Parts: sequence; C-alpha cells; structure tokens
Amino acid sequence: MAANIADIGVASEAVRGVRTIDHHPESFNHRPPRYYLLWLMLPAILLLAAISLYPLVWLIYMTLHEVQLAPGKSDVWAGIDNFSRLASDKKFARGWLTLFKYSALCLSVEIGLGVLVAVILNNNRFEKILVTIFLMPMMMAPVIAGFLYMFLYNGTFGWYFWLLQSIGLLESGSILGNKFWAMFAIVATDVWQWTPLIALITLAGLKRVPQEQLEAHMVDGAGPFRNFFSVALPNLYPFLLIAILLRFMDNFRFIDHILIMTGGGPANATKILPTYLFDVSFKFFELGRGAAIAFTLLLLTILLGLALTIVFEDPTRKLRTERED
Amino acid sequence: MFSMPKKALYKPISRRKFLELGGGVATALGAGSIAVGMNSVITRRPVYAYSSDEAKWRQYEGSKLVFMSENTPPSFAIRDNIQAFYDLTGIEVEILTDGLPTVQQKVGIDLRSGQADYHLNYVQDKPIGSPFADFYADLNEFTVDDTLPLDPQGYGDDVWFENYLDACGVYYERGPIRAFPYDCAVSCTFYRQDLFEQLTKDFEADYGYRLEFTDETTYKDMVDITEFFGKMHERDSSIPYGYAQHHGSFGWTTQLDIQRHMYAQNQWLDFAVDDTLGSKNPGPTNWGDAQSVKAMEGYKALADVSHPDNLTNGTLELNTVYAAGGVAMQIQYHEFAASVEDAEQSVAAGGKTAYAMGPKGAVEWNTDGGDNVVNATNCGIGGIGINAGASMDLQRAAFIFASWACSHETQLMVLQGVGGTPTRKSVLEVPEVKEARNRPTTMPNALTFEAVYDKGIRSPNMVLGPKLPKSNEYHEIVRVGTQQCIAGELSAQEACDSIKDELNAIHDI
Amino acid sequence: MASREIVRYRSPLRTALQGLSILFLIFFFVWTVLPLLIMVVSSFKDLLDAFQLPEVGDFGGVGVMFDFKPTGAHYVELFTEKHFGVYLRNSLIASLGSAAVSVSLGSMAAYALSRAEFRGKRDLLFWIISTRMAPVVAVMVPLYVIFRSSGLVGTLPGLILAYTTFNLPFAIWILKGFFDNVPYAIEEAAQCDGCTRWQAFRLIIPLVAPGIGAFIVLCVLFGWNDFLFASIIGSGGAKTLPVATAELVQPVKIQWGMIMAAGVVTTVPMMFLGLLIRRYLVAGLTMGAVRE
Repeated sequence: MAANIADIGVASEAVRGVRTIDHHPESFNHRPPRYYLLWLMLPAILLLAAISLYPLVWLIYMTLHEVQLAPGKSDVWAGIDNFSRLASDKKFARGWLTLFKYSALCLSVEIGLGVLVAVILNNNRFEKILVTIFLMPMMMAPVIAGFLYMFLYNGTFGWYFWLLQSIGLLESGSILGNKFWAMFAIVATDVWQWTPLIALITLAGLKRVPQEQLEAHMVDGAGPFRNFFSVALPNLYPFLLIAILLRFMDNFRFIDHILIMTGGGPANATKILPTYLFDVSFKFFELGRGAAIAFTLLLLTILLGLALTIVFEDPTRKLRTERED
Repeated sequence: MFSMPKKALYKPISRRKFLELGGGVATALGAGSIAVGMNSVITRRPVYAYSSDEAKWRQYEGSKLVFMSENTPPSFAIRDNIQAFYDLTGIEVEILTDGLPTVQQKVGIDLRSGQADYHLNYVQDKPIGSPFADFYADLNEFTVDDTLPLDPQGYGDDVWFENYLDACGVYYERGPIRAFPYDCAVSCTFYRQDLFEQLTKDFEADYGYRLEFTDETTYKDMVDITEFFGKMHERDSSIPYGYAQHHGSFGWTTQLDIQRHMYAQNQWLDFAVDDTLGSKNPGPTNWGDAQSVKAMEGYKALADVSHPDNLTNGTLELNTVYAAGGVAMQIQYHEFAASVEDAEQSVAAGGKTAYAMGPKGAVEWNTDGGDNVVNATNCGIGGIGINAGASMDLQRAAFIFASWACSHETQLMVLQGVGGTPTRKSVLEVPEVKEARNRPTTMPNALTFEAVYDKGIRSPNMVLGPKLPKSNEYHEIVRVGTQQCIAGELSAQEACDSIKDELNAIHDI
Repeated sequence: MASREIVRYRSPLRTALQGLSILFLIFFFVWTVLPLLIMVVSSFKDLLDAFQLPEVGDFGGVGVMFDFKPTGAHYVELFTEKHFGVYLRNSLIASLGSAAVSVSLGSMAAYALSRAEFRGKRDLLFWIISTRMAPVVAVMVPLYVIFRSSGLVGTLPGLILAYTTFNLPFAIWILKGFFDNVPYAIEEAAQCDGCTRWQAFRLIIPLVAPGIGAFIVLCVLFGWNDFLFASIIGSGGAKTLPVATAELVQPVKIQWGMIMAAGVVTTVPMMFLGLLIRRYLVAGLTMGAVRE
C-alpha cells in the first residue's frame, strides 16, 4: 500500500483495479486517429488563441509604436524607442528592484514560516484540524485581504497598528505612511495569505520522505535537526522550488492588495514593476511605453514558465519511479 | 423662468406604458429607434422637437444614455434624483460611478477605442479633461441650437463662478467648450474650534500668541500649532495630532496640496503658462528654483510635525481620521463638510468644527524679500462632457442631460440632498441657501461657503494649476518628489531638482 | 508503520523543541485567525464603535474589541441599498459559468493532449500554461479592445469569457494529468464492446469525475476572487462582489463597517468550498505539480 499514499494521480485511485497496467498511454499500439483528437482539442485551443495570441500581437504592435491619444491621429512608428527609453527610466529600473526585493522578502518569510509549520504539524495529533484552519486566508480574494489589512494598519483605529506600537516595535507613527514599514506591511499581507500554501506543499513533500532513510538515520543517533537537514530537506527541494516559482509568478500577477493599500507609495517604496506598469498604461495612458514594460514582464514570465515546466517534469517523474520501486 | 414644463414633473408614467406610448408616437412621426453602443438606445423625433417647449425636452423620449461618473456626492445626488430627469425627458440615463482612478481607466480606454460606451463623462479638469480634451464634443454647437431645450440663464462665462468655465471647459485653445462645470470641490481648512478654545492658554504660554485660526494664519504659524498639538498628544493621547494633508497614493491630491503651499509664497507656479488655458508644450518647469526649494523646506517642516499617517491618506482617508477625532486640523475639500457634520459618523460634528481658507504664505519663506503672500486655494472641478465619438443624436440627447445636470434647479436640489458644491452663482443667491450658512443648518456644506466662495476662489487666492496633456504623469512626478522629501529620502533641493528633471524629461526638454 | 517502533529518548533538547513548537503553533494560529476575527467582529460594529482602540500599551484594554452593541445594519444595508444580492448572483453566474466552460472544453482538450503524440506537443503545452501565467495588467488593454468589439464588455458572458482566459489553461493542464493516469486499455475495451470513440471518452469521464469536480470548484474560486478583470471587463452590467466591495470606498467616507461585512459575504462561501475540496487544494494551486 506504500505506493498508494504517495499516489501521483487522484484518478488512478478510482481505477485501482487496473493499476497493474502502466499509465503511459504511449506504450499502446492502437491510438485514436489524429483527426479525432484534433477535433477534441480544437475548441479550447482556438478559444485560447483568440484570447491570448491576438492580445500578444497587439502588445508587440504597441511596443513598436508611439500610440497616439488624440482622436483621428494614427500611431507613429517608433522602432525600439519605447524600449530604449526604458533604459534611462529610473522608475523602471527601480520597479524591477522593488519587485525583486518584495518577492525576496515574501518568499523567504513564507518559506521559512511554511516549512516550520509543516515540520511541526507533520504527524501531529492536530494536523488535520490545524491545516484546515490555516488554509482559510488562501480562500480570501486579494482585494478583500487588502482592505482588511488596510483597516488593521490604520494609524487611528487599526488593531495591528496598536499592537505594534504597544509592544514597542513601531516607533514611527504610521505603518503604510512609512517607507520602511509599508514594504513590510504589504509583504505581511502576502505572507498571511500564502504561507499556508507553502506549508501544504511542504507537508505533501514531507509525506514522501522515505521513512527507512529517516529511521536508519535515527538509529545512527541523529538528532531532530540533523535528521531534518540531511534527510528531509534534500527531499523537499523540488517541492520548494515549485513553490518558489509559483509564488514568484503570483507576486507580479496579483497586485490587487498593493493597489488598494499603498498604490505604490509612499515615495515609490512599494512601487513594484507591475504597479508602475499599471500607472503608465492606465493612468498616464502611455500605451506604447506601457506595452514595452509589459513585454519585459512577459519575458520574465516566459522564463519562469520554462523553468516551471522543466521542474514539473523532472521531480514528479522521479518521485513516481521512486514510489513504484 | 426655467423652461421646464411643469406638468411633466407630475406625470408619473410606468415604463412599460411609456414605451408603448412612446413607441407609437415615434412611429407616427417617422422616427426610428436604434440600439447604439453598449446599453444605449436612441429614439429620435426631429420633427416633433419643433412643436413646443415640452417637445424640445421630450424629443429623445425612449433613449438611453450612459453617464460615467466619479464617486462624488453630486453624482450620488443626481443618481438619487434621476427619476426627475426621466419624468421630464423620457430619457433614461444609467449612471455608473467609480473611484477616480477607475473612472480614468475606463473613460480612457473607452475614448481611445473610439466607441462611445459612455456618452457622458465626468470630466475632472486635470486627470480626465487635460489628457482627453480632444475627445469631447464642443458644447458651443449645442448652446446655440434652438431645437434643444436651452438653459434660460445661458452658459456664458458670467453665470458660473470666476474661472470655473475656463478651468473645466477650455483646453489649450480659446473657443471650444469641452465641459460644463458640474461640481467643484474647493480646498479649505477644517479645524476643531472646541479644542482651539480649550487649549489656547497652554499654547499662548509656549508660543506667545493666541491659538486661533484666522485668514492671517500663515504656514509658518501652522508649523507652531501643529507642533503644539503633537506635543500635547504625546502627553495626553486623547488630544489629537495637529494637522494633516493628503499625500496618499493618489497623485493629484498630493500635487494640489504642494501646489497651494508653493503658490502661497510669491504666487509661484510650476510652469510659465496661462492656467486658464493650459498648454500642450509648457516649456521648462520652474521647479528647482530658489523659491521652490525654500517653500519645499517649509513644507517639509510642516509635514515633520503633522499626523504621521500623512503619507498614506487621500481625501477620504484623511476625512475619516478627522471624523474619528484623530487630527485637529485638516485641509479638505468643502464637499466633505456634510460628512463631518453628520453626528452619526463624526465626533467633530455639532459646532465643533469651524471652516476657513487655507493658511497664508509666510513672508519669511519668500526668497525675494517681498511680502507677496496669499491664502492659496485650489479646487478639483468636475465638468460634464459629451463623448464626441457618439452619434449626433446621442450627443444631442446627452446635451439635454448635461444642461439639466448643471442647471440652477438641479444644483439646488443636489445641495439640499447629499450636499453639492454649486457652480452657478445664482444658487448662492437663494434665500434658503443664504440662511443655511449659519448653524443650525440643513445644508452643512453651506457652512463652508464664506471661506470658499466669498474668499477662497477670489483672486489672488485661487490657483488653478497647469492643464497638461500629461497631467497625470505630472501629478505623479510631483507626488513622488514631495513624498521623497517628506520621507527624508531627499533634501528639499534634491527633491525639487528631481521633480524638475523628470518634468522636463516628459516634455522632451 | 515501522517508525513507531523507534524509541525516542526524552532529552532536554527535545522537550525544549516541543515547547517551542507549541508556542510557535499558537503564534501562527493567532496570526492566521486574528484578522479574520477582527473582520467578522467589525462587520457588526457601527462606525464609531469600530474606531475604538485601547491606549497604546494598555493590553488590559483589549476588551474594547468586544465592547459594542452588535448591529446587523451593515449586512442589511448591503443587501437592500447596495444591491449585493445582484452582485452575489453575478459573481455566482460568472464564476460557475466560466468553470463550466473551462472544464468542459478543457477536459476534451486535455483528453486529446493526453492521448495524442505529435511534434511540438511540449511547445503547445508550454504555450497553454504560459497564457495562464501572463500578468493581467500586461494584456488588459488589447483584451479590452477585443471584448469591446464583440460587445462583451459589461456583460456576464463577457466576464465568463474573461475568467476563462485563466481558467481554461488551468483546466487543460490539470486535467491532462488526470487523463494521463487513466489507462487507455479501458477505452480500448469499451470500443471492443462496440462503443464509439466519443462514447468511450464519456465512459472514462466518471473515472476522473472526483478530480473534475474539485477543479470546477477551484475554477469557481479563481473567478470569484478575481478583481482586475471584473473591474474592467465586467464593469457596469456585470459587477461582482470584489468590485462592489471596492466601490464601498465612497464619496466622503470609507464605509469600513460595510466593507468588513462585504468581506465576510465574499469570503465565507469560498472558505466552505475550500474545505470541501481540501484534498485537491495543493494539486490545484500548484498546477498539479504537487499532490497530497
């Protein structure tokens, strides 16, 4: 039954009776004809193309033009002007820096806390109930979380503000109005919402740490720390890598709570690149420049996506084989 | 008298009945009804329009328009009273409201896409009017068309308060009027008179003059008063902080704040342009000159002693702080008086708050040694503009609404309701409104009228601010520079220079 | 389980660690639950009560948080004056609709992708997943133009389609993993029994049904919680709960009580759904990379 615990697919549980057959369909001779599969695929692919390729073409068009605002004027070919101008745009560079700073803060705290929670909870008596409670924040819409934390941070009636002042941590009279604290404030919101995800992923990983290895180690007299660092952690890497990639991507996909809480302020302390992009495209209506910024963001997304697909294929396959040995 | 057919107001008619009737009449007169754009319908009866005054109002009976507006009290009041317009004209107007940044986005995308989903726009002079002026119809074409129900007062420069029509309707060239003034939120000081009276002895002991807020109170005095409140707050946290402005996430409000302060000393302006007209090529900015740096230093001194949340609050947030008793003085737009005076949500209600102009400039901060200082006042003026991308009939129908919404009667109605900010002079002449300036009042906004209409908006106190196609980016640049100075990241000189560089860069200088 | 047989010695270190972990769990529990608690409590306070805080440093005064006369007024006002009933319905229709479209189209495509082998399949899969990951702000303007020219802005079908931009790739990607795990032998057997290919496809659907059910719920969750699409594409005719909540930041005051109430209304159903699909959550939120 060991294989079952770590079963890769939920579906295969439903067909346990036939598990003896390998589930890689390419090992079969009779496959459905291609045209049939193509027809099945087509509606989804066409729909996706319509809502993703067309905007992409548009985006590229805009990056190469000076998009005119006045009615009746046609756009002017700008070559790579939109891009070269970014090179001298301090806010663009700063936006990237802030984005990385923000993500690094979010990820390190989330991973630290998440792994800690998972390790403590693993095989704990209250694991089920606590995990259930801990994952509640994930279900909240980021906008709502933004409002909720804005309320908590308020310098006049916010409970977190009061708490931080009361324990003497916060000397400044304001959280969101202080450059230093504002960054932590938005990070804390993200941490509150998404640490549980990291904890869940880690828990899933911990369940797959081979017990024999742990036991062998313990018999050798290893303490809990050494046990964690030399056995559990190496097994967790692929899981943590996936968690990092996914969260990093979400860090610039979801900016709702930043827009609500600080709008990028004060003094641009929380203006991560996507919020700057938001300003350029939707406040300044500099669509060409906005598209160029968007394009650089897309490039990063694609790189991350590539990394993700590679990670996706490898560790899971590795785990799969390990399990079925 | 206003040419509103009286009986129309008392002729409630169910929508279905109306559609049956209207549809029949329309066919009889050879008119057609076409669906245009999103959610809009136009029903035209051109022949009918000539038949009577009432017919002028009802010529687009059965049409449907969409008005994209901002979340401001006047918009809500109009929405509450939209039935009156429907009863009068038979035109259905759907009013969509959003926060200004969202309105900006949606209007911007709509105008740019060339399809008129929003036939009527709430045209805030700087964030929307300045970048998109060319997309709005010239209202002069309609004001001379006698097949439309025209306002008996007319639409000339003199029926509105000084500068209002220029500020919200004229962009970059004389001639075309892009929007009619619909509301205008003017800055003024809200302060806790009860606390001032209670603490004046303590203050006098420390600073040697009485704790009071008058037209002669300068920004330098504000530093004293604010510092004093801050000290008292340290000692007894039931006493609020002294002062706060709006340096939050929305660029425009921060820019307005610093603009007042800059203008108060020597009437300093960002650009050498005529503010009533604005400019597409404003030339090099004055930021970074000696006067701007000196004033910025003063501004930083004031911000240092102000409420610590100063850098997060926008207008709404600040007002909430004030209403919760968190600050003794706020610079605020006069439409907020209604909520401050609402005892259910404000501890500053019931005679505790007094209203005055913004502080005067401090002679000490003038760099030329002169004594040119003013009680700088500015405003956010919202007009109603008509999307030029809409069909002529839609535009005409929209004009009927714009004209109605900016009329004397409607403004009075809004003032009596949620609390408006009148733009037509005649509204202030109404005896009921004159009476309402004193407590107890039924129109709390009227308590601010002396500070606003009698003094603040008069020359030389009023500063309109530059209209630039890149207004929004200009606001953002000024906001960030100011915030960087207040937050201590840059010195006053560095902040002004940074603003200068960036402003010149966006104007290719 | 063999591990139970291992003898664990009580060492001071172990005891200390245990104590610390309990402390940490308590901290993490409070950290997680406190904001939710404050949200719920504040939603029952009127504005002036919600502004009450104890003095700085006065930890005895925390009782102020619960010292108020509960009022349901915010909820009543939400549903009477602010039409939250309508927005609730819009949210439901849009997220359910998009989930239905995504999962039905997605399962067909996923099945096909799982069964087919062709050159460029990897690239196709990569393209599919990257459409899901593209930052929304980056593609909003062109998307708006497309939606506008098809008359979809401000309508529920438009919003359904908008949510489909992120739900469909998600569904394809995840469901492909599911079909990969269903042996082709089943379909083959069915076809031997005289089923058509389509019937065979339908035959194996029940095998993946529990998973599909869970991912319908996840699609609903993503759609429900979306803000940017809803505010720009859905504006006007198809206002959803998050957008309506953001609009409670009103002319002259921020309606904190009502915002908190709206937060409760928006969040509670999703929390229940989350519980319902607890088992599939990790798989869903990691795009199927990690399974419990």
